[in-house]
Amino acid sequence: MTPQAFLATSGLLGLFVLAAGVYGVLYGMGRLRESQRLMKAATVAYAALCGIVAAIVLATPLGFGWKLLIGASAAIYYAIPPITWRHLHRTHRDRGAQA
Amino acid sequence: MSRSQLLAIKYLMAAIAFFGVMTLTGLLSAAYYVKPDLLFGLLHFNIAKILHIDTLIIWLLMGFMGAVYWFLPEEFGREPEGIWLAELLFWVFCAAVLVVALIFIFVQWGPGTEQTLWLFQQGRKYVEAPRWAAIGVATVMLVFAWNIVGTAIKAQRITGIMAILSINTVPLVLLYLVAFPAISNMAVDLYWWWWLVHLWVEATWEILIGCIMALAVMQLLGTSRKIVEGWLYIEVALVLGTGILGLGHHYFWIGTPDYWLGIGGFFSALEPLPLLGMVVHAVYDAGTHRMQTTNKPAFYWTLAEAFGNFLGGGAFGFMITLPQLNLFAHGTQWTVSHGHFAFWGAYACGVISICYIALQKFRALAAVEGRLWIWSFAALNFGLLGMVGSLLVSGMAQAFFERAIGGSTLEAFVATQENPWFVLGMDARLGFGLLFAAGYVALVWDLATLGRRAPVRAVAAPAE
Repeated sequence: MTPQAFLATSGLLGLFVLAAGVYGVLYGMGRLRESQRLMKAATVAYAALCGIVAAIVLATPLGFGWKLLIGASAAIYYAIPPITWRHLHRTHRDRGAQA
Repeated sequence: MSRSQLLAIKYLMAAIAFFGVMTLTGLLSAAYYVKPDLLFGLLHFNIAKILHIDTLIIWLLMGFMGAVYWFLPEEFGREPEGIWLAELLFWVFCAAVLVVALIFIFVQWGPGTEQTLWLFQQGRKYVEAPRWAAIGVATVMLVFAWNIVGTAIKAQRITGIMAILSINTVPLVLLYLVAFPAISNMAVDLYWWWWLVHLWVEATWEILIGCIMALAVMQLLGTSRKIVEGWLYIEVALVLGTGILGLGHHYFWIGTPDYWLGIGGFFSALEPLPLLGMVVHAVYDAGTHRMQTTNKPAFYWTLAEAFGNFLGGGAFGFMITLPQLNLFAHGTQWTVSHGHFAFWGAYACGVISICYIALQKFRALAAVEGRLWIWSFAALNFGLLGMVGSLLVSGMAQAFFERAIGGSTLEAFVATQENPWFVLGMDARLGFGLLFAAGYVALVWDLATLGRRAPVRAVAAPAE
């Protein structure tokens, strides 16, 4: 790994997780406010995350196994906000119905 | 106010005081990088750094204990078992910390004998305290465990949160025993030492703060126990699932077998996943309550905890956690940047939140308001963000010039210490450290004067 590739890879990995965070926040806010604009922004954030994954896969010297792991993580990141939201919504609704 | 909650207030006050010592010695450590001959012959960098990182552990530990003693009587409906011993040990704990600090400042080291290990220091990062003090900490932990487990047995009842907390006291006590042996083989010594450092911090402490924040959210937002406990179980499973073997990222370069490269890298890569769920949860809670609560500082510090944990532990950690990258980044200011951010997000914000929750009831405040907390919140968080950003710049310069280009030679190390990017980062870190310290002063002032500036009435029981 060249020094330049090291810095670029490291930066991309940081941006990868950061993009997942932005996606999660925008998704949550979009669902909360029922805002199509925010939901679109969340989609854009996730698209950015996919772009970062593409850059990691195509342009970094990481091994195949690590690239596969990052690709799989990207898929899991996509699912976490909706699953979390659904579960939160259901548990709060059930609790409200019981009360 | 129960005896346990009065003890909690003492622990929280001590925690905030040691937070101040940590901040002061951190500033001092930062200043040495800018002016290396500062206090030459009086107080060396290594002592300031020891005090900085040891008080970090102590203030957080005291904060956790304060939080647990605060919630215990409410959870069990009675005073904790053996509370008199806990009250006594609080003063022993504080006195021991002060004596150890004085030993570090005035004695510092001794001959390479057993006597030095027992009386002066053990020489291992984070657990430098001499054995007599380590025995004291272990005793405090044992009594703390008995206060929780013994109360559950006596009360003949247990909640889900208290069950997790009780089970967690076992590794909390047992892992601390790693502080005692002095193994002469450095690889073996580090192997076990990381059990204490990593598994305390990324397993038992994560569960401890998870339980504390679950109790805090119930009190702060009136969230039902069923919901909170359901999420706590999920969080514990995910954090332990990724965190325990995430230990492997500390085993990359200490002489352990190669398979730790794969194990450590794989599980560390999974560690940010549950943190994203916590961020979404924080957005949900903030949104459904429309940021309305009678204790805004506690609420905002709770939110800061979720976001700080994700950014500091998740994003900053993932940059350097894969072995190919960690090869260049470990032990540089880059790691320091990640460490500062992760500790702040995962633990410090939570302890500050608990301080506000406890003070609201202790001083019978209808609402915790005012502007001072906003100033302290902003200065502490911007100061911290500035510090970790500056350290990131310095750390990247080290990893790039000293490690990747320079090949980790002594010449490369010395040359990088004068590299403009490294120097800029260290200068900026000191500046942001001063902002952080100003935030600390505002926090202390706010906590000390809270009752005088807020409307007072008897506090109603928290909503269920």
